[in-house]
Amino acid sequence: MQLFSLSRQNNVYFHSMKQNNIRNFSIIAHIDHGKTTLSDRLLESTGTISEREKADQLLDSMDLEREKGITIKARAVRMSYRSKAGQDYELNLIDTPGHVDFNYEVSRSLAACEGALLVVDAAQGIEAQTLANVYLALEHDLNIIPVVNKIDLPSAEPEKVAQEIEDVIGIPAEEIIFASAKDGTGTDDILEAIVQRIPPPKGSLHQALRALIFDSHYDSYKGVIAYVRVVDGVVRSDDQILMLATGKRTDVLEIGVFRPQMTPVDELAVGEVGYIATGLKNVADSQVGDTITVARDPANEPLPGYRPAKPMVFAGLYPVESSEYNLLRDALEKLRLNDAALIFEPESSIALGFGFRCGFLGLLHMEIVQERLEREYDLDLLTTSPSVEYQVSTTDGKDLVVDNPAALPDAVHIAEIKEPWMKISVVAPSRYVGTIMELVTVRRGEFDKMEYLDTQRVLLTYDVPLSEILVDFYDQLKSRTQGYASLDYVLDDYKAAKLVKLEILVNNQPVDALSLITHVDSAYAKGRELVGKLRKLVPRQLFEVPLQATIGSRVIARETIPAMRKNVLAKCYGGDVTRKRKLLEKQAEGKKRMKRVGNVEIPQEAFMAVLRLGQE
Amino acid sequence: MDIAIYIHIPFCERKCPYCDFNSFSGRQALRTAYVDALCHEMAAVAARGRALGASYAARTLYFGGGTPTLLDPRHFAQLLACAREQFGWHERLETTTEANPGTIDVAYLRALRALGVNRVSLGVQSLDDAMLRRLGRIHDASAAIAAVEACREGGFENLSVDLMYGLPDQDLPHWRRTLEQVAALAPEHLSLYPLTIEPGTPFWRRRESGRLILPPDDDVAEMFEVAEEALKANSFDHYELSNWALGMVHQCQHNLTYWRNQPYVGLGAGAHSSLHLERYHNVESPSDYIRLVGDRADAVASRESIDRNLEMAETLILGLRLADGVRRTAFRDRFGRNLDEVIGDALSRPGLDELIADDGERIALSPRGKLLANEVFVAVLDSSIGGPSVC
Repeated sequence: MQLFSLSRQNNVYFHSMKQNNIRNFSIIAHIDHGKTTLSDRLLESTGTISEREKADQLLDSMDLEREKGITIKARAVRMSYRSKAGQDYELNLIDTPGHVDFNYEVSRSLAACEGALLVVDAAQGIEAQTLANVYLALEHDLNIIPVVNKIDLPSAEPEKVAQEIEDVIGIPAEEIIFASAKDGTGTDDILEAIVQRIPPPKGSLHQALRALIFDSHYDSYKGVIAYVRVVDGVVRSDDQILMLATGKRTDVLEIGVFRPQMTPVDELAVGEVGYIATGLKNVADSQVGDTITVARDPANEPLPGYRPAKPMVFAGLYPVESSEYNLLRDALEKLRLNDAALIFEPESSIALGFGFRCGFLGLLHMEIVQERLEREYDLDLLTTSPSVEYQVSTTDGKDLVVDNPAALPDAVHIAEIKEPWMKISVVAPSRYVGTIMELVTVRRGEFDKMEYLDTQRVLLTYDVPLSEILVDFYDQLKSRTQGYASLDYVLDDYKAAKLVKLEILVNNQPVDALSLITHVDSAYAKGRELVGKLRKLVPRQLFEVPLQATIGSRVIARETIPAMRKNVLAKCYGGDVTRKRKLLEKQAEGKKRMKRVGNVEIPQEAFMAVLRLGQE
Repeated sequence: MDIAIYIHIPFCERKCPYCDFNSFSGRQALRTAYVDALCHEMAAVAARGRALGASYAARTLYFGGGTPTLLDPRHFAQLLACAREQFGWHERLETTTEANPGTIDVAYLRALRALGVNRVSLGVQSLDDAMLRRLGRIHDASAAIAAVEACREGGFENLSVDLMYGLPDQDLPHWRRTLEQVAALAPEHLSLYPLTIEPGTPFWRRRESGRLILPPDDDVAEMFEVAEEALKANSFDHYELSNWALGMVHQCQHNLTYWRNQPYVGLGAGAHSSLHLERYHNVESPSDYIRLVGDRADAVASRESIDRNLEMAETLILGLRLADGVRRTAFRDRFGRNLDEVIGDALSRPGLDELIADDGERIALSPRGKLLANEVFVAVLDSSIGGPSVC
């Protein structure tokens, strides 16, 4: 007993020493501004990894991230650093996802830190997303260390960018560190600044455990691995823990730190960053933002800011080969192990067969899921037009949430439809203001404000319905600004709008996969476009086929596919019989794979082409 | 056992750029050896038949190509003598040769007529010089007209003319004119084919690269209808999808064998046979053919056996090509099955029923069905008799 209390006292002393020498920080940077290279330099410089161990760009461990130049899953690395004054520090670098769809995850990563490196490209300057994340960091009272990176580039203008940082963010230019992560310039200054300028973590060792989950991944042996920052107290490898938001209780299987490999330790105490292997089977049981406490002595208050993962964008995912349905389901289930934000349920469509209705955090999240399914699971997929979630009030006083046009009640039963609006910010050279303004206006956007970042660059803020930026908005923005514009958005509010369900009828039968909810003002144009495309893609049938776009019972666009006139193999003699028969058998095979809508045989490829065109 | 005999002559003076038939230019030096091989194959076929207990009697004889008229009369004499020796022989049986207008004269035709050839199928294709050049033909319009006259003078009373339509830059007036001109030549039989672009031909490559533009399908359909009307006015019966004849007697007996799914033997390089519930064909290269026939008395490249279901399906899709269609009684006599049971509801789908004319005894294509025959054939192949048993 005595021995135990003594060691416990020693521990307390040790911990308070240690707490003062911990620095937790993240890096805020726009894509391609050099976050990954800088991280690598810090890891090398502190001896956390050697040149030999270094896989190219260690922090981004998923192929897709590397390819897209973005970080999807946050990672955390512990580094040991001896300062110029001879003090030993423990530095925890918490990486943040680089895309706006993961805004909430970014905010939780930042909440786990006391400081952030703001990395800005010396040739490019500040971008919209960087700015958004800086504001997020300031909201969390993070100390910001500005770094102007890539000063070795011929086109670098470090002084100008430094001035921009001072003007826009209000950080004095003299605090800025000029660096080149590529050749190592400035790395030492950055490490010194981290220990000098970022405060040690607050929090008390003597309070009940409160550990913030800022990320997780699924391990087939150890279950869900929660990435945590201990805010108060201490967690030990023999504790039973409790998730305050989800109420899940479980025995700790292992705790440890990332060096960068997962390295088990006996305990994680206040201020420290590491992982807890929970043995849980479902990442949804340990959600990002949740607070972990010790079950026998739980904390009263959870840490602030928790929000359950909430999908914003919905779409149907269908296997191109209907036989791949089960493979798709298995693949989605595997992805969900690591992605609490991904939701899905079975759905079926006349045109496309059996598939899944999926919910995503945003468009990029959707794209990533789609690409991982295609690449890692070798599936060939078809995605229906993405939809947002509508709040529908019916005339008999019910409130519904609708994320699938097929589920929208008849117009006569609808009292009001509300749709989500986003607050978007765009940073671009001022010469593109006109074209951006036009793009946003066409998409029902409302101008909020314009600020000059410097003499040539502006920050534009708008309110835009999410449904209007789902398809093609970002690509349009990029192409209209020769790639100079950057975009950020956050959910603002739900607003009522005149929305209608546009249906496409083939031979008087609605085609479920092509119906969509749209603003009444653009319904006509969309209807015309869709029937026009179908007119070109649906093969002629034995009879005339009307194509119609309708709102309720009103036809707003119409095309007709004339009846087929000729399909005959003119010559058939002795030598041709087998060959001709095989040609006909091929046609018969082709017919079998057609989808039949209102007696019309339509190759699935035609639906796909229409859906793909719609996304161009 | 009656069979139709087809003899393939794979030689051409020049290969036409739309043609994917088994024909070769510049190999005429092989003619004598090739004709010897044909005789050799005939003897072997007859011997195999005897071994199976079958004695073949020629119902028709047909020289096709290629260009059979690149052979000399003595070659014809040798082949006809062999055929008479090996197979039973009906008197006055239909003996046709295909002929290229650029390769024949009165003396030549008179010689063939004297040997027993009694029908000529003349590859006229067009009566427009510019079009004939584009088609890569070795003759012009006046040569075609002269060839018709030469056939008459040579003693042929049964003459067929081949024409093509749906040609590059061809319009309806142009086609009407061609039909009028050909009617004035007064052949007993006409075969009209829309130009089809086959893979591997120069025309295919030209179309792929955009250098060859064909009239749209709807226009080609109209050309077909125009021809039907014009030829009807000239007393021609439209007895098969692409074939017209002046009365039953002038229908091509040889080709009727194919459409009625009856047995035939094809001799020569690349020739196809359908015999004893088997379809098979010879190797395509004339020199390989000569060598193989010499080595092992046959030159078969591959065989496919035809089961009962497939035979029924083929009988239907071939028979429906004929204006006569398929007779319920004939079908029952041949297969012991009720035609309506066999077809089931394969042809009752909306739209498809309109392509069929059914008088209770015969099922045939309706006028509209003639242009959409494949839709009907595909439905037949898709029905219970097609499907699973088909490889």
